[in-house]
Amino acid sequence: MTPTVSRDLAGHLLAYEAAAGKDSEPTESAAFRVCEKLRQPLCSLAGVAGFRSLLSRALALARAEAPSLSAVQVGADGSLKGLDELGPQRDTDKAMEGGALLIAQLLGLLLLFIGEGITLRLVQDVWPESAFDDRDSGKEKRA
Amino acid sequence: MSRQDKVTINQLPTGVPGLDEILGGGLPEFSFNIIAGAPGSGKTTLAHQIVFANATPERPALYFTILGEPAIKMLRYQQQYTFFDQAKLNNAVRFINLSQIVLEQDLNAVLEEIAKEVEKASPGIVVVDSFRTVVRKALSGSNELELQSFIQRLALLLTSWQATTFLVGEYVEGEIRDNPVFTVSDGLLWLYQSSDRNSILRKLQIVKLRGQGSVPGLHTFRITNGGLQAFSRTLGLGGQQRKMASTRRLSTGIPKLDAMLGGGIPEGDSVLVAGASGTGKSVLATQFIAEGIRQGDPGIVVVFEERPQEYAGRAGNFGLDLETPQHERKLEILYLRPLDLSVDETMREILDAVRKIGAKRLVIDSLAGFEMALAPSFRTEFRESLYRMITALTGIGVTILSTVEMDESFTEFPFSTYSISFLTDDIIRLRYVSIDGQLRKILVVIKMRGGKHSNDIREYEITSAGMVVSDDRLTGYQGLITGIPVRLNRPGQKEKPAREPKPKS
Repeated sequence: MTPTVSRDLAGHLLAYEAAAGKDSEPTESAAFRVCEKLRQPLCSLAGVAGFRSLLSRALALARAEAPSLSAVQVGADGSLKGLDELGPQRDTDKAMEGGALLIAQLLGLLLLFIGEGITLRLVQDVWPESAFDDRDSGKEKRA
Repeated sequence: MSRQDKVTINQLPTGVPGLDEILGGGLPEFSFNIIAGAPGSGKTTLAHQIVFANATPERPALYFTILGEPAIKMLRYQQQYTFFDQAKLNNAVRFINLSQIVLEQDLNAVLEEIAKEVEKASPGIVVVDSFRTVVRKALSGSNELELQSFIQRLALLLTSWQATTFLVGEYVEGEIRDNPVFTVSDGLLWLYQSSDRNSILRKLQIVKLRGQGSVPGLHTFRITNGGLQAFSRTLGLGGQQRKMASTRRLSTGIPKLDAMLGGGIPEGDSVLVAGASGTGKSVLATQFIAEGIRQGDPGIVVVFEERPQEYAGRAGNFGLDLETPQHERKLEILYLRPLDLSVDETMREILDAVRKIGAKRLVIDSLAGFEMALAPSFRTEFRESLYRMITALTGIGVTILSTVEMDESFTEFPFSTYSISFLTDDIIRLRYVSIDGQLRKILVVIKMRGGKHSNDIREYEITSAGMVVSDDRLTGYQGLITGIPVRLNRPGQKEKPAREPKPKS
């Protein structure tokens, strides 16, 4: 899986959460919700410390491309702090791009460490209602 | 209480080839077990194999990870094994990290968390990896009695919830004594890894197993991309009945040698063909196997010093076709060359091949090559291992012909370099002898457990048709077996002219 694929997968999840969150949690960003939903199973799998390490690394990688994330931090429990406090940027393309990059980097790390099969399974478990098959789209893109 | 009233203990498969056999059928259901060993001995891989072999969505496996190998890395590496079924993840196999609870809270909190997950999932298998971490933590903050109580409650909980449990830990042997973990456990499976010169030896032992008989002793195992594979010391033939003794004689393919053997080799015997390099041991062995195939006895040839193609090619030089029977699955030539083999592993390969083609004849060419293919430490047990191997194979009715290379001595006449003559039923000794300015070859049947045999010392030649044994015994010389005989000048005895040697084509 290439970084393009992890970006596509992140884009898909963000779009799904953006649509789902319009009514339920209108004040939270889609990236925050994706991150929160991934936190629980990943903490269960890797421990809070394990998840924090992964998210911190993803954040560091994303910051290099999106300086708007400089104020964002990873809390002791692995939650993201500051993603929704980007202030005036919140609804701008830059903020959305920063969030998308962060999620893409997090998924990219998972793909790198545990591979496509297990990552997709994990994502599918978190969003069972989201009928997507990124595996196919990834393969098409690689071809 | 009658036999029927006894509770039936179901056995679960380990997913490890050979291990169920060693365990006496499998893992006792609902047992509380420990998988112990040093780092890198294969504990986690074994636990994963058990998990993937048994977990179902209805009775999932819970794998609690604690401060050992990070779960992400564990998944990264374990998915490389062929037994790792990604489709079972999060569905039948669930990984739960307890590191934080262990670090920040006490044993009661750990037990509560495990209980919560167990009651939620109703698992069939529970693994705690590494349990050693839990014990260390416990001993740092609480007393030994608390630890014992924790282990007792954990065992009770998991057994009551009908889970078969595995506590994985890095222990050293001295810790067995007085350690409550070992006292409470029903099963204790110890994995060892050691290096010997340039070889790595892996062995496992069922130190303890309640409720069923396991095969005692150390068993070798190997870790491949399929995970662990174990090789029982009894080669899985422990409970097997010995085949009834046969009266059939097997032809060697050399009629005059058959006659010397009293009609051939008794079926199910182990024959040793001993001689110096170039005396024709392999030729005799090849003729024996080829004759078997001709008579409908499938055969196995185990070679260590040359590849199967070369072996078959050399047989072709003597007019023996070993290619066709290989295609027809009547012959298998096994080439075993790695330098860290165990006898049990070799035996497994041979037994699998024997079963696959229903072999009746087996040639081991040669014992020296076999010994060299073993890891150095196994060489010290070579004699004992050979005994087990020969007993196991002849027990299922296979007739074994082994070759052994001897250093040619002109002062003595040894039968083998391994002091294994007592292991074999029959011994054929080939040797060089210096006669009339020529280096000629003689053979003697030294012993036959199954009956009478010729006492003749016969001359033989290796020709393009293989081994050709002379009609009569070699007379007129004294001290033939020394290799430097003395001509007897009996009155009236005709002196045989020295023969011109026939070139081997």
